[in-house]
Amino acid sequence: MATITFKNVVKTYEDGVTVIPDLNLEIKDKEFIILVGPSGCGKSTTLRMIAGLEEVSKGELYIGDRLVNKVAPKDRDIAMVFQSYALYPHMTVYKNMAFGLTLRKVPKKVIDEKVRAAAKILDIEKYLNRKPKALSGGQRQRVALGRAMVRDPAVFLLDEPLSNLDAKLRTEMRSQITKLHQRLQTTFVYVTHDQTEAMTMADRIVVMKDGIINQVDTPQELYNHPCNVFVAGFIGSPQMNFLEGRLKKDEKGYFVKIGYSIIRLPERMKPSAYEEERVILGIRPEDLNLDKNNGDSIEVKVELAEMMGSEIYVYSTFEGKKIIARIDSSEKIENGENIRLTLDTQKLHIFNAQTEELICD
Amino acid sequence: MKKTKISSILTPPILTVLAVLFVIPILLVFINSFKSKFYIIGTPFELPDKETFVGLSNYIKGLSTSGFFEAFLRSVFITVGSVILIVICTSMTAWYITRVKTVFTKMLYYLFVFSMVVPFQMVMYTMTFTVTSLNLDNPVGIIFVYLGFGAGLSVFMLSGFVKSVPNEIEEAAMIDGCTPLQTFFRVVFPILKPTAITVAILNAMWIWNDYLLPYLILGTGQKTVPVAIQISMQGAYGSVDWGGFMAMLVLAIIPIIVFYLSSQKYIIKGVVAGAVKG
Repeated sequence: MATITFKNVVKTYEDGVTVIPDLNLEIKDKEFIILVGPSGCGKSTTLRMIAGLEEVSKGELYIGDRLVNKVAPKDRDIAMVFQSYALYPHMTVYKNMAFGLTLRKVPKKVIDEKVRAAAKILDIEKYLNRKPKALSGGQRQRVALGRAMVRDPAVFLLDEPLSNLDAKLRTEMRSQITKLHQRLQTTFVYVTHDQTEAMTMADRIVVMKDGIINQVDTPQELYNHPCNVFVAGFIGSPQMNFLEGRLKKDEKGYFVKIGYSIIRLPERMKPSAYEEERVILGIRPEDLNLDKNNGDSIEVKVELAEMMGSEIYVYSTFEGKKIIARIDSSEKIENGENIRLTLDTQKLHIFNAQTEELICD
Repeated sequence: MKKTKISSILTPPILTVLAVLFVIPILLVFINSFKSKFYIIGTPFELPDKETFVGLSNYIKGLSTSGFFEAFLRSVFITVGSVILIVICTSMTAWYITRVKTVFTKMLYYLFVFSMVVPFQMVMYTMTFTVTSLNLDNPVGIIFVYLGFGAGLSVFMLSGFVKSVPNEIEEAAMIDGCTPLQTFFRVVFPILKPTAITVAILNAMWIWNDYLLPYLILGTGQKTVPVAIQISMQGAYGSVDWGGFMAMLVLAIIPIIVFYLSSQKYIIKGVVAGAVKG
């Protein structure tokens, strides 16, 4: 059980490239935190710094109250699950799981109990005498989890553990890992580039880009109140629609003029400081609906309607810009036709077009 | 498609001819080891008959005059010692120069590769002088000389394989609690085993069969098997006891053939592993 604290941590590689310019983050005890971001955003480096596999160039990194900048990985009381599982190919599943405890000279009986208990939880009891190469991807992944579990570490580190699995298995393992976290009551730090994993599993999500933390929040908050265009676009699938226009005001209130169309903002939004400035209007695909009453709506030209079963993803253009809507699957939509969509203006997000930071939502 | 077909037709006969060519000398040695020495030069290709067959007398005579057993033990000691030293030292070296990327390790790697292309004859006199002045001209010292001569190929082969071992496995070992030495001996070395065995076999074969190096360094005082056979079967005025010579050759070949046959699957495995993953 431990908190993890980054204080002004900098990571610079030997070739002079700084991947993490200044990181400040506090991970709470027993929290399931997910670091998410595109490739090369520094999330894996951050995880590897916690593990001790990468040195901290500057700043302080604490696990619990202990400064661990110079502490060897084996003395940090952590366990890590790698993307490639990194099982020892010459050892059986049992020995793979027992290896860490054997090195720590834990009595054989205790090791046996722990390994069997972990194997039971992960449903790999049958494979204890097999070598890793005789296991499927999902089974290997569970062995890797088991190897981490038996150590009872204070911190669990997981580096894209599900990215080598097929879609079905991934969903299954996702719930397994969540359950595991609830059962173990340990701090979990999880790295992924898959926002679905982040949304479904995390207590809090850290969204990173170019080594900088953009936002740290619960999945719900991130989804509903993203702090900038990057976070808004990264979280949610299909991603949020962005329409650039100019913010204007008339007697009825504020509106955004996009091409020849206007979109009125709800009354509560009063971004007076940005009048006549360029803004980006963000709206999620599910907040666009077919207009049946000929009300306040926008006209779009359908390019492609993708039937997903429960809903239809409508890819269309509006004022020359791409826009995606999620429509109920009972509707009939033809490719190439013009349809009218209403916007749920209560769920609009307005971003500054220059800084891409949120103005109001 | 056509190319595959032609090669699949041509390959078996070509390989058969090659195999026969390689086996004939060994077969001749074996056949002639049972013939009287007077018939070996005249009719080397004939099978022994009533007149020429001498039973095991060549073997008995050879063993009694050549000091074969003593030489055999010395050869075993040198070969086993050298192979163990080569495998342990070169696998560690290969691991180090593959994992630690500096200008120094890069140079070291090319130095090892370069040492493979230098012919032994080019260095043998200076080397012999150096070895003698370092007091390494004894069966223990020669093991270190073999380490030097075996290191080039061994480091080259092993470092090719180390590259294919994912770094994450070593990181997992570090997190599990291994010191660098434990990481090497408990995780890396077992993974390298197929290639290490190949390296061991290849080195064992040439060290066992080597004539020139022990002749130069140990001289005729401390003979290894090849030296013992050559020296003792040579009589005065250039006469050679061909019967005893053939019999001793058979005895010298047997251990290395048995060793090869029992471990040949590892050779193929190791070479293939290096080829595919390296």
